[in-house]
Amino acid sequence: MIRSRSGPRSLLVLTGVVAILATACGSSTASTAPSVAASASAAAVASAAPSVVAITPAPIAAGPGPNGGVVVRWFIGLGSGGKPEQIAAEQKFAADFNASQKAVYLSPEIYDNTVAAQTLQIEIAAGNPPDIIGPVGVEGLNIFRDNLLDLAPLVKSQNFDMTKYDPALAKFFDMGKNGATIGLPFGAYPSFIYYNKKLFDEAGLPYPPTKVGDLYQGKPWDMDAVRALAMKLTVDKKGNDATSASFDPANVTQWGFDMQWADNRPDTEATLFGASSVLAADGKTAQITDQFRTGLKWFNAGVWTDHFIPTAAQINSDLLAKGNPFQSGNLAMDESHTWYMCCINPAAPAKASFNWGVAIAPSYNGTITAKLHDDTFSILNTTKNPNEAFTAVAKMVESPELLADYGAFPADPALQQAYFDTVQKQYPGSKIDWTVPQAMLSHIDIPNNQAWVPDYAKTKSALQALGNKYRTTSGLDIDTELATLKTTLQGIFDQYLATHP
Amino acid sequence: MTESSQALPVTPRPRRSRWKLRPSTREALWGYVFIGPWLIGLILFTAGPIIASLVMSLTDFDLLHADQTRFIGLDNYIRLTTDPLVATALISTFKFALIIIPVTMLASLGFALLLNHPKLPAKGPLRTLVYMPIMIPLVASTLVWTGFLNTETGWLNKIIQSFGISGPDWINSDLWIYPALTLMGLWGIGNFMIINIAGLQSVPTELYEAARIDGAGWWTSLRRITIPLMSPVLLYDLVITLIATFQYFTQAYTLTNGKGDPNNATLFINLELFREAFVFSRMGYGAAIAWLLFAIVLLLTLALFLFARKRVYYAGGNL
Repeated sequence: MIRSRSGPRSLLVLTGVVAILATACGSSTASTAPSVAASASAAAVASAAPSVVAITPAPIAAGPGPNGGVVVRWFIGLGSGGKPEQIAAEQKFAADFNASQKAVYLSPEIYDNTVAAQTLQIEIAAGNPPDIIGPVGVEGLNIFRDNLLDLAPLVKSQNFDMTKYDPALAKFFDMGKNGATIGLPFGAYPSFIYYNKKLFDEAGLPYPPTKVGDLYQGKPWDMDAVRALAMKLTVDKKGNDATSASFDPANVTQWGFDMQWADNRPDTEATLFGASSVLAADGKTAQITDQFRTGLKWFNAGVWTDHFIPTAAQINSDLLAKGNPFQSGNLAMDESHTWYMCCINPAAPAKASFNWGVAIAPSYNGTITAKLHDDTFSILNTTKNPNEAFTAVAKMVESPELLADYGAFPADPALQQAYFDTVQKQYPGSKIDWTVPQAMLSHIDIPNNQAWVPDYAKTKSALQALGNKYRTTSGLDIDTELATLKTTLQGIFDQYLATHP
Repeated sequence: MTESSQALPVTPRPRRSRWKLRPSTREALWGYVFIGPWLIGLILFTAGPIIASLVMSLTDFDLLHADQTRFIGLDNYIRLTTDPLVATALISTFKFALIIIPVTMLASLGFALLLNHPKLPAKGPLRTLVYMPIMIPLVASTLVWTGFLNTETGWLNKIIQSFGISGPDWINSDLWIYPALTLMGLWGIGNFMIINIAGLQSVPTELYEAARIDGAGWWTSLRRITIPLMSPVLLYDLVITLIATFQYFTQAYTLTNGKGDPNNATLFINLELFREAFVFSRMGYGAAIAWLLFAIVLLLTLALFLFARKRVYYAGGNL
């Protein structure tokens, strides 16, 4: 029998190819992403052992706890809370809570923020979910929306006092499926204008207003006023401002305005022009609202025509502290949230090179819209101990220690003064006018800029792509871009709703 | 019957014990014992997950709704054919491959030739210098390069500006991002350079001497002797570079926080896989993309090996 010579040779070649592929895929010097399969393996392991990324001791998984109470697992890391310096306060809160009563044993599990969401997904998939999650923001709640418990019956049965909160904040977390209450008010972070006093003084311009209704240089404090002011505060290398005919946009060294930490989302930036959503009221149709369109055009012109808003390249340059423009001292006005007070100073021991103040958000068509970030604690709907979990959550949202630990602006007015005093100590040269953030709580964006939409993560990704595009590309036709975006979003919504009726 | 004719006593052949094995079999068995732990690891941690991901790709497995997982047949694979982001990711990956693979191959061979030159002094320290960037973690080196390439304040554009030319927007332009990533990739050619130096040193010097006597110059020697004799090494470089390019992830992720900016130019197929599986939680669909990636790399590698049959010289005969 004559054997084909090519048979074994081909087999050898094929084996070699597969071996090389396996070798390359296994330990390539190139960067690789974790494999899907590896995650599935991890899911199987998660039910048996604590995750290796946990930075606290393994949680007690089954009751009763050392104090004789029902064990309630508290998952930390989705928002704030995962930093090493925050752990002691969290553990102390749990220890004090456990010592104060014998019905519930609170067992914290603390994860680094970069892995927390994925870890929680794996725990849920593996049938080993915690009871409580938090502190967590709206985006975190969106991801786990289908897994959250409606707290409204527990609020009622345990007589939790919701009247102490601003009515808008009290209802803020009624954002679960069918309007379910998926969190209690804890830390609210309204937005407003931070301004650099040094740059205003250099330009000889008065500071922006700190009271709702106040005028600026005799005119309403609105988006037109912001544009005009920002152009005067935008300066090139030779010292010409953006209103000057000699202004050189290729060599800008100081910018007038930006909205920091808007997550690269143009719809979020556009909330200054009014709250809106890319999801229509029917819950299935993509829409581009007038607010969104007007806002994006304003920002796009601010970047490429008026030059008072930095481009993506400028934001990431040394001139704007590689992505923290206001901290750099080269941005005159920045719309941002209360929590940003954490990070205006550079890393210790360095100090900010300027003093700053806060001003109210500008209005558009007579209405102020101050977008809100909000943190809460939530309970998973898989919990076997909802009453005990709610008892713990009710204590958490009232804890001054946790509020201080997370740098949270207290939703409860009675707890706010302690927060003001703590933050003020960090900025001895900048007297913070706390009436500004307090006033902005009455102008929060509803619907919220982070409100749930179908396939939230993918929708956000599509919005961010446009956000990046307009900050990197001049001459865009915004109407065309928005038409394309609407089509993309509708495709995302349709696909999601087809599988998640 | 004479005495001499009497049968000599036959020495009984030693009876093989039932459990006594031939030396070759025993050797083979010990071999299996020694590689046993690795085999178990291979089955549990490589083959198992590979099979699991194949099964997963036939389901709509989603970590947050694991209890609702359904078998959906080839739906994920059909969806791959209509998903615009997958098409975009493949185009971005191929575009990038067309730039980075030739540049990596040429640069690593060029450095190898330079650093193997007999008249070059301080070869050791110079080779170390070229190899050293590999020791820097990818994330750290990417962040360093991001600063270096920044349009406004990066050193590269400052150097370009000193010639009176305005530098490009390296990171934020979908045209310049590939050259930018290729520049970053040059920090990783040290491995290939070392392999190429080894290949160069395996070429018999007599061949060069004979060629020189025949009047061949440097270029002819390179074309007629060096490259043909190094062709198996160059094939290895090419296959590994190809695979690495299709697995490209960390730099793109670090540069854009996994968003694929600018304008999806860095949305490479491996990044799209990661996003679908781990950001959008669609593990089943992510697994299907992983198998698509595997199929593409397998086909391209097979094509390379077919090409190699005629173009690669093996001193001991063909593969």
